[in-house]
Amino acid sequence: MTDDVAIEIRDLAVTFGVDRGESNVVRNVDLDVYREETLGIVGESGSGKSMVALSLLDAVPEPGTVSGEVTYYPEDGDPISVLDLDPEELRRFRWEQVAMVFQGAMTSFNPVMSIRDHFRETLQDHGYDVPAGMERGKEILEQLYLDPDRVLDSHPHELSGGMQQRTLIALSLLLEPEVLLLDEPTAALDLLMQRSIIDLLRGIRETFDLTLVFITHDLPLLTKIADRMAVMYAFDFVEITETDQLLYHSAHPYTRALLSTTPDLTTPPDEIRTIEGNKPDPVEYISGCSYHPRCPMAEEKCHSIEPELMTVETEHEASCHYHAEVPETVPIRNNPRGVADE
Amino acid sequence: MHPRYVLKRTGQMVLTFFVTVTFTFALYQAMPGGPAEAMRAMILAESGQVGGSVNLDLLNQMVEHYANVNPDKPLHVQYYNYLHSLLIQGDMGTSIYQGEPVLDLILQSVPWTMFIGVYALALGYTVSLFLGAVMAYKERSLFDSVASIGVIFLNSVPYYIFAIILVYVLGIEYSVFPINGRYGTFVDPGFTLEYMSSVVRHATLPVVSMGILATGGALTMRGNAIRVLGDDYVRVAELRGLRRSRVAMQYVGRNSVLPLYTQFMIGIAGVLSSTVVVEEIFAYNGMGKLLYDAVLLHDYPVLMGTLLVFTTITLLAIYIADLTYGYIDPRISTGDSNE
Amino acid sequence: MSEADELDFEELFDDTDREPPSRSARLKRTLDLTVLAPLRIAIHDWRAVVAGTILLLYGLMGTVGVWLATKPSSGDHPKLQGPFQELAYPLGTDLYGRSILDQIIYATPDMFRMIFAGAIVAVGVAAVVGLLSGFMRGTPVDAVLMMLADIIITIPGLPLIIVITAIFQPTNPYIVGVFLGIDMWPGLARTVRSQVLSIREESYVEASQIMGLPTSSILRRDVAGQLMPFILVNASLTSRRVIFESVSLYFLGILPFTTYNWGVLMNLAYQENALTRSELLPWLVFPMITIILMSFAFVLLSQAMDAIFNVRLQARHAETIDDKEMTE
Repeated sequence: MTDDVAIEIRDLAVTFGVDRGESNVVRNVDLDVYREETLGIVGESGSGKSMVALSLLDAVPEPGTVSGEVTYYPEDGDPISVLDLDPEELRRFRWEQVAMVFQGAMTSFNPVMSIRDHFRETLQDHGYDVPAGMERGKEILEQLYLDPDRVLDSHPHELSGGMQQRTLIALSLLLEPEVLLLDEPTAALDLLMQRSIIDLLRGIRETFDLTLVFITHDLPLLTKIADRMAVMYAFDFVEITETDQLLYHSAHPYTRALLSTTPDLTTPPDEIRTIEGNKPDPVEYISGCSYHPRCPMAEEKCHSIEPELMTVETEHEASCHYHAEVPETVPIRNNPRGVADE
Repeated sequence: MHPRYVLKRTGQMVLTFFVTVTFTFALYQAMPGGPAEAMRAMILAESGQVGGSVNLDLLNQMVEHYANVNPDKPLHVQYYNYLHSLLIQGDMGTSIYQGEPVLDLILQSVPWTMFIGVYALALGYTVSLFLGAVMAYKERSLFDSVASIGVIFLNSVPYYIFAIILVYVLGIEYSVFPINGRYGTFVDPGFTLEYMSSVVRHATLPVVSMGILATGGALTMRGNAIRVLGDDYVRVAELRGLRRSRVAMQYVGRNSVLPLYTQFMIGIAGVLSSTVVVEEIFAYNGMGKLLYDAVLLHDYPVLMGTLLVFTTITLLAIYIADLTYGYIDPRISTGDSNE
Repeated sequence: MSEADELDFEELFDDTDREPPSRSARLKRTLDLTVLAPLRIAIHDWRAVVAGTILLLYGLMGTVGVWLATKPSSGDHPKLQGPFQELAYPLGTDLYGRSILDQIIYATPDMFRMIFAGAIVAVGVAAVVGLLSGFMRGTPVDAVLMMLADIIITIPGLPLIIVITAIFQPTNPYIVGVFLGIDMWPGLARTVRSQVLSIREESYVEASQIMGLPTSSILRRDVAGQLMPFILVNASLTSRRVIFESVSLYFLGILPFTTYNWGVLMNLAYQENALTRSELLPWLVFPMITIILMSFAFVLLSQAMDAIFNVRLQARHAETIDDKEMTE
């Protein structure tokens, strides 16, 4: 891994005006995505992680507003400020530089169009050479263990869930993007299929020199593929570090709670734990540390002063005033790697 | 498209056709005092022999001549003869009033009715689908609210009242369009520009009046488009960097029009229905007016013939709709849908 | 399945799984859910308020109005008086000296009778046929019912009704309503059927997941809950169609003129070339306004009911601004 940055996020905020005020679903986050790494973004549902991903493509749905900076550094060429692109530039940027795969592969395709037409129109609208592009598309499909001609001739509903997901991944690679965003790409699949998709992703990552940003609530799954992880809580990142460091030396109480709630096959049902307390509300403003209402370590300071991300070690940041004391104070009940590595 | 589905659908259509024919036959029988009495009274009145003694056999022959139903034969024989002359000989009977074969009368008027009917349907749906799509794109805007109320209001105006208003405003007060007939009295039919433009000008008001029937489609389209706009594949298409025009047409447009396709074809029945009133208002000599006049004159053979042809046209339209639906929506090409 | 999920399911099917609540309690709950709650929302929906007000006025016109007005007959008043001049004939008089307003008022009760009969027949038959067909999917009953529906869909409505009325010459408004309803049920029946089928599919999946819950009880609950709104919305739309078609039959002069009807007024005025004779225009225009306003109320009512009942649509709608949903 190099320290070459592919995407730089600075002070990114996403807000929605709602009846009872302003809903801040992403709160001034900073994050770097390194070139050719696999970055995992993990958090509970509703923590704002999908919004961060959509912001990278300036695709936050109406009436949301995005502020801050998202800078994309192409392998060759000048940096691109994504949020300042005009509509046509943005259209070309999407899928050519950064592509995205969603969890609902079935609903990601136009139900009345054949897969071939999906591939063709994508090439056409981006001004790519169609015959050459289709050949490449077939190769990618083959690499994902799909029969290219059969898949291309099919309509979305004629493919199984796993085939659809792989087809969508193939479609996302069609224009040879440098970065691939994956938003819960395996959530709708069974465990076996999840595993094979992860294996395939590991494979294509090497073949296509891809930078992957993998978003999920499923921490154990993430440990199988991510080089680094960014943990999101209450619309901000609370801990960012390499995967092993996070698993064994996490310095944020929330991360540790998340690791502890992860059930494995040996956990008796009555010992499955959930994190106590309510999920954070994007409209209400919590003074101090956003995690303090649920934190077992919360002190006076946590109620009043909001912790910034602080350096724990090299390449390890956590936003906790007491990050040094966290490892000994909050134990991790079971380590997800234990399952992951068999 | 599965051959089995086509076969099944064709069978259904043929069956429906037979049931309709049987139905018209039953209606003959349902006439007060039976068909013979009704027809006899009509024929007597027509031939001016009221009160005089008439040869009963001759009368029955005449009834058979006009209606293809001989009242003295047993019911099943009557039914067989009716079917036989209708299907094998293409004979729908003879108009009591005009003395011409019903088929001839219908063939003369069908093209005109289809002309205004199809244009009304096409125009009405084009406008309302487009309007509905724009309303959906601008959901909750001022335009959306105003257009919604406008469409609801148009939905509340019966097409014939709309026709009367059009006649009054555009026909009488401002004399922009002619309000009578299929073409100008002094225009000779033929492939001349004068004739063509006269036909178009005469058809304008009837077409617009019937086109209002389709405005309800705008609200349906709006609802569909709003639903589709919220669908994942539209968002993914945008994220894929597809052109806006393609997303609007292939993704939003196509998927929101689809559920309306069958409704569109069934709409033909509605438009054909409306021709009865509209053609009467505009003195437009089509099938609707033929049917209406037949009712007033108690010209039963014409009445039954027009009803049968109206039904057959709708039947064919729905048949075509069903068979082609698989092409525009591949999901149901297996032919086993819940709809 | 985690413990939390199981708990959810138990809660979800509490009322079918355990001791059923008493019939009256259940009725009360159903009443509250299907009638009172929507009513409470309706008060805040301007469409419902406007539609309700208009229909109330028509209702008054058809009851109190008839009692107040004098039965119009020829020579009551001077001929062809303009509107807004005399209190005895506020909307003027026709060619025979009859008050136009009185004629409009006297036509109202019959219009309500036709609407009532038409809506009952159309929606009632549609519901029965649709439910039967849906529950007995794939059986000969289903096939025959749907074929019958298809056949009637195929026959253009107005010509069919014209032929039938020409033959039977009905004078009773209820009978006219029934005739009009015959043409209107098939489309509805098909929709009811496909709704039953989709509910059945959903419920079946759910039920089989929770092991051995009788599908029928879930079906009953779901079908009643999901079809009632649909039926009410369509009853309102059917009412509009009954107005349109009955008036058109009177306007065409196909139904006997023995009763008062707005279409009769229009027919007489139109025959006298009211469009070119301005003194006859009120005779034509006021019935037209009466028809449009009443139809407007019914269309508005159906729209309002659609919005009120369609909670799912509302929820989907709210999604775009709901902050909780937004973050995912």
